[in-house]
Amino acid sequence: MRDPYQVLGVSSTASDEEIKKAYRNLARKYHPDNYHDNPLADLAQERMKEINEAYETIQNQRKGKTTAGPGGPGGYGAGYGAGYGAYDPWGQQTYGGGQGSSPAMHRVRVAIRQGDLNMADELLNANKEQSAEWFFLKGIICHRRGWMDEAVRYMRTAVQMDPNDPEYRRGLDMVEGRQEAYRPEGFGGGFTGTCADDSCARICGALLCCQMMGGGYICCI
Amino acid sequence: MFGYVRTAPDHLSQQEQQNFAGMYCGLCHTLGRRYGAVSRMILNYDLTFLAILLSGGEECRCEKHRCVVHPFCGRACAQPTAALELAADYSVILTWWQMQDGIADSGFFRGLKYRLATVLLRKAYRKAKALQPKFDERTCHQLQELAELEHQQCASMDQAADTFARLLAAAAEEGVADPTRRRVLTQLLYHLGRWVYLIDAADDLKRDYADGSYNPLLYRFAHDHGVLTAEQQAELGRTLDLSIRQMAAAYELLDFGIWSNVICSVVYEGLYAVGTAVLNGTFHRRSKKREK
Repeated sequence: MRDPYQVLGVSSTASDEEIKKAYRNLARKYHPDNYHDNPLADLAQERMKEINEAYETIQNQRKGKTTAGPGGPGGYGAGYGAGYGAYDPWGQQTYGGGQGSSPAMHRVRVAIRQGDLNMADELLNANKEQSAEWFFLKGIICHRRGWMDEAVRYMRTAVQMDPNDPEYRRGLDMVEGRQEAYRPEGFGGGFTGTCADDSCARICGALLCCQMMGGGYICCI
Repeated sequence: MFGYVRTAPDHLSQQEQQNFAGMYCGLCHTLGRRYGAVSRMILNYDLTFLAILLSGGEECRCEKHRCVVHPFCGRACAQPTAALELAADYSVILTWWQMQDGIADSGFFRGLKYRLATVLLRKAYRKAKALQPKFDERTCHQLQELAELEHQQCASMDQAADTFARLLAAAAEEGVADPTRRRVLTQLLYHLGRWVYLIDAADDLKRDYADGSYNPLLYRFAHDHGVLTAEQQAELGRTLDLSIRQMAAAYELLDFGIWSNVICSVVYEGLYAVGTAVLNGTFHRRSKKREK
């Protein structure tokens, strides 16, 4: 196992408070929300596990040395850990539902769960039904593939056809990227705006360009 | 590649900015050494960023070199590594096929510059093709697919962007040995490719409308003479953001060593700023010259 302090990116002399802060930041970074339905979700989950273990190890080590007084570390690992432990984008809690869905749609869900997007797409295309669920699953497939615009359009149709289905509404929130995404400290905004105020102009003006490189004319032909 | 990737220098230390500059010069010199002076003309920040992503993240050794652009004091320049050489090979192939696409897309006069450039680059391309036959084959295949979509006047921006995105992703698939690293970089480069393709489409919208070139956004949105409404721009902005977020999520899963902050500043700030500037109409690739 790697050195737990190294995993959290702190020195072994860091205070409990610093460790907690580092842990919280990492937990936010690899939070399931940032990797929802992401093809790399399993790697994030591994990372989260490693961080939780490291935090727990440090806590235990320090408890062993000194009796943790009130206000000492504790209670955190459980909170985040539990959140990820249950994380399975295709488990029963999220998108696993589809109660009452036809056998054909069920097969599509199974194919998606197994990561066979081509198969899932073929099955959908062969189905003439085009129910709200059909659009929902199409949206999920597109999102997995990185076809973000199509995903939103399919998901909107699904919600329009069946506005009361919580699964479709959650799906729409996901493909529209409505969840708060992780951003490192000091980075603001986080969206492609259409603003025309000074701050934008300043950033764009300051973009690392050829003043520094001296290669203004070696641009793309 | 088009030259849209930018770092956010406010977030970088002097040393990190120097490293980036060194990589830029390093790629330029590698191109020159491998493919002759003319090939250096294809250099841009997107290709530099590709070289950074393909490199492992170990300390880069810089040495001072002089060149035509910096004849007197010279510049710190990254020493050749396998990643730089790979990036140089890919750069030549990518640029070659981009020019072929340009010729197919444009009329006779607008295509002239591409024709001239292909004449100059032909020798370099032949060499790169011999060195990276698989990557060349995939590039060629993707471009054919794109031509087909153009012919059908495909209205799906995802489908059109997918061809270019897969092409960049192939750079990781062919060029990275470690399986986890390859997987993460494939995802990162896919979304970089998607973003670059769409931002280029947004940037060229008016021009493409004026001379009747294919642009998926012209079919995706009910535009007014090549101009998008604020709402349509916001929609386009959102889909660009989703790709940037995917890139950031992928970036966080790998150790990029000395390049961490550089990539961080690109995926958390630089690309958003460029996107905003393009949608505002304040981004000019060539404005650099004026700024100088």
